[in-house]
Amino acid sequence: MNIEQNDNEETQSVGEYLIYGAKLSRRAFLGGSGALIASLALDPKLAFAAANGSQPTSLDAAKPASWIEIHADNTALIRTGKCDFGQSSIFTAYRQIVAEELSMPVANITNVVWGDTDVTPDGGGTFGLLRTNVQNLRKVAAYIREAVLTLAAEKFAVAKDSLKIKEGVIQAGNHTISYGELLANQNWSLSIPVRGELTSFMGIVVTGEPPMKPVSEYTIIGQPLKNPIVRPKVAGDNIWVGDVKLPGMLHARVIHPETLGSTLLKAGPLDKTLFANSQIVTINNLLAVVSSDEWEAVQAARSVEAKTQWSDWQGIPTTSTGLQQFLHDKPSWDDVPDMQSRSSKGDISLPVAKSHSAEYFMPYYKHAPIGPMVSVAEVKDGKVVVHTHSQNPQFLRMAIAKMLKQPEADVIIKTYIGPGHFGRSNGGNAGSEDEAALLAVKLGVPVRVQWMRHDDMQWSTNSSAMLSQISIGLDEQGRIATYQAVHSGPPMQDDRPIGAILAGKDTILPPTPDNPSFLHGLGIFIADTWVYGSVENIAETGRGMYQLGQQESPINVGIRDHSMRTPIQFQQNFPRETAMSEAAALAGMDAIDFRLAHITEPRFKAILERLKIEADWDTRPSPSPQARANGSEPALGRGVSIMLRDNGYWACAAHIAIIPDTGEVKVERITLVSDTGIVVNPLQLKRQAEAGCIMGVSQALHEEVSFDNSKLTCTDWQSYPILKMAEVPKIKVVIAPDKTATMYGQGSESANALASSAIAGAFYDATGKAIRRLPLKPDYVKKALSA
Amino acid sequence: MITLFINGHARQVKAAPDTPLLYVLRGELNVMTPKFGCGLAQCGACSVLVDGEEVRACIYPIIALEGKQITTVDGLPARWQQQRSLPNAPDRLHPVQQAWIDEQVPQCGICQYGMMIKATELLEKNPSPSDEDINHAMTVSGPSAHLCRCGSYAAIKDGIHRAAAIIKGAELITTNTVEG
Ligand code: FES
Ligand code: FES
Repeated sequence: MNIEQNDNEETQSVGEYLIYGAKLSRRAFLGGSGALIASLALDPKLAFAAANGSQPTSLDAAKPASWIEIHADNTALIRTGKCDFGQSSIFTAYRQIVAEELSMPVANITNVVWGDTDVTPDGGGTFGLLRTNVQNLRKVAAYIREAVLTLAAEKFAVAKDSLKIKEGVIQAGNHTISYGELLANQNWSLSIPVRGELTSFMGIVVTGEPPMKPVSEYTIIGQPLKNPIVRPKVAGDNIWVGDVKLPGMLHARVIHPETLGSTLLKAGPLDKTLFANSQIVTINNLLAVVSSDEWEAVQAARSVEAKTQWSDWQGIPTTSTGLQQFLHDKPSWDDVPDMQSRSSKGDISLPVAKSHSAEYFMPYYKHAPIGPMVSVAEVKDGKVVVHTHSQNPQFLRMAIAKMLKQPEADVIIKTYIGPGHFGRSNGGNAGSEDEAALLAVKLGVPVRVQWMRHDDMQWSTNSSAMLSQISIGLDEQGRIATYQAVHSGPPMQDDRPIGAILAGKDTILPPTPDNPSFLHGLGIFIADTWVYGSVENIAETGRGMYQLGQQESPINVGIRDHSMRTPIQFQQNFPRETAMSEAAALAGMDAIDFRLAHITEPRFKAILERLKIEADWDTRPSPSPQARANGSEPALGRGVSIMLRDNGYWACAAHIAIIPDTGEVKVERITLVSDTGIVVNPLQLKRQAEAGCIMGVSQALHEEVSFDNSKLTCTDWQSYPILKMAEVPKIKVVIAPDKTATMYGQGSESANALASSAIAGAFYDATGKAIRRLPLKPDYVKKALSA
Repeated sequence: MITLFINGHARQVKAAPDTPLLYVLRGELNVMTPKFGCGLAQCGACSVLVDGEEVRACIYPIIALEGKQITTVDGLPARWQQQRSLPNAPDRLHPVQQAWIDEQVPQCGICQYGMMIKATELLEKNPSPSDEDINHAMTVSGPSAHLCRCGSYAAIKDGIHRAAAIIKGAELITTNTVEG
């Protein structure tokens, strides 16, 4: 027996219940399998389908079966519009949370359907998974449980609150009945209240307040459940996005322009004697070579590219080497109003006894997935179907529909497993979907667009660069009297697909000052939550600007930026935490003690105390008594950093060694302590934190996007190196949740951001010299040491 | 026509002799576990074993592989089965694959096909690798370091040690985990 939708059946209501805002109706059973049938939203105006007069997915978010199906054998299926990039939450934590709310064994949730615009109900981007999004499924589970309890109470003529559910079986005195058995041979309708728009940035939200299972009764949440898709992955049984093959499919290579501002003058010739199956396709400035054979497409594209003529353009107003100075010297920051943090208060102009003032700089980073962008598009029954690994399939549907001037209902996005991007690396899409769709529509056959390594390095979006001025004023006792931060740089969210821009098709607006979408404006908001509760005078300001080169480019493409891991928070946490370690030294205090002295939140205090123990921290002021800024022997140091993200408290200690003469930095060990509240799955959290931290060490030591006045000049893993196995420090992850917390743990990306500032603090400790820019490459290190 | 021995089977290949193995495996032969990462021998996502040595399929032309035994991750279970003369079992995994599950090694997993190939090469030569041996194998022994963007390196190290233990049939360290 399924809980399934069954709109067309003529039924007669014979009973009705209100379940915490959801409506449960009994109908005459007309045969068939029997079902808990959903029929209407409480407020039809708020349901997407009703609002748009068309059904953009085959599911109605107001129907419980769109989210959760319970089968006759008491197994269940869940659906989410969210995607997975390897962190596993939708396959582990989501199942645990739903199973917990239903009081059903987690093994009974046998299937997770995800990320497909046509068969998942909610939409929205893959972020805030445990903070906001899972509340949809959790609430639907709670509604279903309450509905089922109501029915069981009636069936056995007992009070509802006398019922218990254990292992998916309802216990009523001497009677027991499973979810499946209870609903057999009956027709029920339950409507779930929802609001929101499916293809908007946030998607559909389930509303109402059904009672949630008390945390004290949790037995499934907190278990170290393994990720069930690891087995098929390592066995080679999954279809990855790059593995999708369709009948008649052509392989495309896009020849992206010579510079960010070039227009196509003349495509190079295609030698048909060498490349008999190949064909050139141009749509405005979008130039591609397609072939039925992939290797032929690669070679043909190379030969066409070599003779293709593009207009010259040198409009990027600086280069990567000059970027910090450029931002420092930028004459005005009035493209867009400044933004102040909510923590800003008091008077930062008060006189202070001592002060630390310095400038910090973060370069642009690449998302740099190991597999470059790949997707396949086809036109099928009048609909454009895109096979990809998007992080926001419904938002991508909107972008593709806009580009093709088609109704959203005629675009279907199917999501597959794919390489980890850690943010959206080519606009709202993962990349190349727009190019595949344009080529498939033009050629009338399925087209697969695989970006080459250099396409990915040069044409995907970037994590924004940032320049920060930090001033910390200390009073006579060495306590912080004033804190001032000014963070300046380009904004994060360019959601325009690049192929659509090159082809001259419609996109959403570029980042502009008057962009009606807050997220797509130029403003820099303060993303790094203030954590030093005892400081009275604070001024944190964000100053935004156009993306670099965007205004100068004739095709409106500058250095495009998009969110990565802890977007903007990383850029602001690095300067704050690095400056805090320097201010601690100015106060003559140990870097952890200095933080403890200014923190008021007991949960933060607890993890900092714990960090001292776990990291074997030697409490003393920096720099280290052995600090040295020269010599060929390693100088050793340790540093600390903290972050509050998504209700998760994180602290990190780094122990490093520097060879001053060569500028070589080795991170020896990192200790992370986190209190993320209720930990849904400690095993997965540990692996996520550990991996995120290693990626953070990579960013701290190696990574920086290089560009000249025309284009990004990093093209491969040599010009954009990342961390290698031999450089990986020993990592200790300690999960120390506050037992009274009521929220699910989230924010493991903090582990990624914290490495850099802890390492910079350790650098100061080891050498007595501050390093105020990333990455800690030998050149920058030597410069910092000789300052 | 060139004949390639892929995971124990002879396969006739139509592709031109200078075609890199990766395009033949994925395009013509439907062997999909080697992944395209860079096409430049810089990352290891495409790695396969050729007569027990790790080779980058993205640059290696098939003409150089005639008559050689090529193993991909799909072929690891059969390789193990054959090495140990084990009975045929359809859901058998190679100890490296099993260790990757036990230790929950992958984040996204795209690099892991190459990582598992490299780990297999290492363990076949050195059944008890130290951390240093693993660092050496994964960083400098091949045409380039094996790269993982997700930062699963620590988990990979755990995975290799566990695989070594499985291979030795040693008492496994039991971890407090639950089958997903
Ligand atoms: S794809 Fe072959 S080494 Fe990167
Ligand atoms: S697990 Fe994602 S690249 Fe290695």
